[in-house]
Amino acid sequence: MPYRTNVLVCAGTGCVSGNSFGVAQTLENEIRKLGLDQEVQVIRTGCQGFCAEGPIVIVQPDGIFYCGVQQKDAVYIAQEHLLKGRPVRKLLYSPPAEKKPIPALKDIPFFAKQRLVVLRNRGAIDPERIDDYIAVDGYAALVKALTEMTPEQILGEIKKSGLRGRGGGGFPTGIKWETCRKAAVSRAVDPVVVCNADEGDPGAFMDRSIIESDPHSVVEGMIIGARAIGAKEGFVYIRHEYPIARERLKKALDQAREYGLLGENIFGTMMNFDIEIVQGAGAFVCGESTALMASLEGKVGEPRAKYIHTVEYGYKNRPTNLNNVETWANVPLIINRGAEWFTSMGSGDVSENPWGGSSGTKVFSLVGKVKNTGLIEVPMGIPLREIVFDIGGGIPEGRSFKAVQTGGPSGGCLPESALDMPVDFDSLTEAGSMMGSGGMIVMDDQTCMVDVARYFIAFLTEESCGKCVPCREGLRSSLDALNRITQGTGKPDDIGLLREIGEVMQDCCLCALGTSAANPVLSTIQYFKDEYEAHINKGVCPAGVCTALIEYQIDPEKCDGCHACVHGCSTNAIIGNVKQVHFIDKEKCIKCGACVEACKRNGILKVPRSHAA
Amino acid sequence: MKQTHGQARLPIEDQDFVDGVIARYQERPGRLLSILEALQEHHPRKFLPIEVLDYVAAKAGIPTAQIYSVATFYALFNLQPQGENTICICRGTACHTRGSRNLLERLKLELGLRAGEEEGGADKISVTTPDGKFTLRTVACFGQCALAPVVEVNHSILGHVNEQALQREIEALEGRRK
Repeated sequence: MPYRTNVLVCAGTGCVSGNSFGVAQTLENEIRKLGLDQEVQVIRTGCQGFCAEGPIVIVQPDGIFYCGVQQKDAVYIAQEHLLKGRPVRKLLYSPPAEKKPIPALKDIPFFAKQRLVVLRNRGAIDPERIDDYIAVDGYAALVKALTEMTPEQILGEIKKSGLRGRGGGGFPTGIKWETCRKAAVSRAVDPVVVCNADEGDPGAFMDRSIIESDPHSVVEGMIIGARAIGAKEGFVYIRHEYPIARERLKKALDQAREYGLLGENIFGTMMNFDIEIVQGAGAFVCGESTALMASLEGKVGEPRAKYIHTVEYGYKNRPTNLNNVETWANVPLIINRGAEWFTSMGSGDVSENPWGGSSGTKVFSLVGKVKNTGLIEVPMGIPLREIVFDIGGGIPEGRSFKAVQTGGPSGGCLPESALDMPVDFDSLTEAGSMMGSGGMIVMDDQTCMVDVARYFIAFLTEESCGKCVPCREGLRSSLDALNRITQGTGKPDDIGLLREIGEVMQDCCLCALGTSAANPVLSTIQYFKDEYEAHINKGVCPAGVCTALIEYQIDPEKCDGCHACVHGCSTNAIIGNVKQVHFIDKEKCIKCGACVEACKRNGILKVPRSHAA
Repeated sequence: MKQTHGQARLPIEDQDFVDGVIARYQERPGRLLSILEALQEHHPRKFLPIEVLDYVAAKAGIPTAQIYSVATFYALFNLQPQGENTICICRGTACHTRGSRNLLERLKLELGLRAGEEEGGADKISVTTPDGKFTLRTVACFGQCALAPVVEVNHSILGHVNEQALQREIEALEGRRK
């Protein structure tokens, strides 16, 4: 490595939308102008995870972390830091409410408690260059798996590691692979391996980030899996909403083919295997395994009953092994460093039985009302509190914590009393939520839990495929009840009705979308029943979110008649002459809250509706 | 019978293009999705006219009913012409807790799109202004949750959007057209 300094510019989707490509270009131009291009190189990396502070630039080997970097700042970084060796103070990260900046990445609390395993290469290598991946031991596990291990030994190692599916279900990966291999052998049909990158949970972006920052780790995992299972064909089913991830994956596959890692006679062995990308078309239910396979065949993505397992009869009735992106990305590490290393992280005991605990790490997208939003990786079993308050930095704007939602639309909302719970597959399920694929949405006291339940049920009503009655009609009836409650016309027995519908759906729906669809409702009723009751009995939304139950008023003491709110209002609902106290016409007001933002004197108040309609 | 009907309505140059697309994806898995996506992308108004669906059915030997069910099942496909500008509001959970519904309501007003909202219905929408200038739609999640609330304007992602920023964006797009 002839370069004395590497400048790592984050090129994850978040930072790209903040023009990080422009920043990288400017840095390169400046470096050339200063004559440093033989000493300093600019590398465009995958997502660094701290998306809230993007665009992010890291200068190595010093590990100096710059955030919110714009093109004009890039000039400073080049002149001050790269040429003169003085870090640019104003671009360093300062924790919220602290004035003193923290120059080094390793000292920033957001990064300090994380344990990077799957995301080990994030922001450290150029995801579009296979040589970068190989330089950090990439494809070493594949060499080992192909030349030193039999398929049975690979299966044994994965089983011993206790790795459980990271897509939501938590099914032991080793058992799945073994079942698929056995089905293929006994039926004498070629099996297929599939990577599920149809990450549809709202509030989750782990898989996008893994593919954007380290696509080869997924490819390597899939080739090792194909060797263990005996597959010649593999697919990656990826959402069309992820264009950058798809491009990087395509490049990774092309490069792997060029290096002889995909195709015929891999490493000169007898193994033939190739991977094809198939693009989804915007249907949440296609993340469900049987629906995904129907979609792979070009059909409508309707799930089918799973008494016939897809590992035996899946894509085109062939034995099909489907794993999620993060699961595949764990595989090379387990092969490289051994099952024992993997089980040294996590909670519970998986030595006898993979269902006995949760080994390894988990990637979460930590978002919502939390100071440090972004992508994190932590050991399984870490207390929820450490994630929200230590890594996440707590709740912004001096508000207080109310709940954290995990597991996407199939998960539930956990209250403050659950904060000391360890985060692993079984603890979350026990508390009425689930691990899911790893979305973690923090909610503060300004979040209405009934509105959150309504939000998820509205989402699922739209995404239900409509094939089975309990899901289709159960969701519709739940949504009706939740609409009533949030509009202030809820009936006293609506809570009982919602519970009853939820229990029927848990028992009777065809696929996991339906059986878990009631979780957001049931868990909010379990932990936040008082909010439901306030809506129904008093017509009050305690968080002040449900628009039918609130109204806006102008505080006559504070209003100086500046007219700013009048310009901000799109329905002409604010009346008043300049320099006189203004009024809101309740007939015209749509309660969008634009006037609150427009008022510079905090003179517009959100209050409970003054009378029952 | 349907086949000649379909073929008769599609101009020759379009037929050639469709033939090429079908041939390209012939043996691929999920080929119908890929074919429809390519055809929609090719159309200047980014949608799938019914005569195209008929023609694909005849050419690829797939029943029209199956094509129609696929085209209506997946959110990606449009059966109506799309506006010159597309504004897509993310309705993911993180965006929801950070106020994306207000953005949506505000934008509906701004663009005069009161119609199309059923009281009590689900939140998903895709509507185009009568003058064809704007299409307003929602997406389940862009996976840009750390930047919530997120709005995509003509395929570029804007993060931490507020109502003023959105209004400026619309004004800029309207201005560009005048």
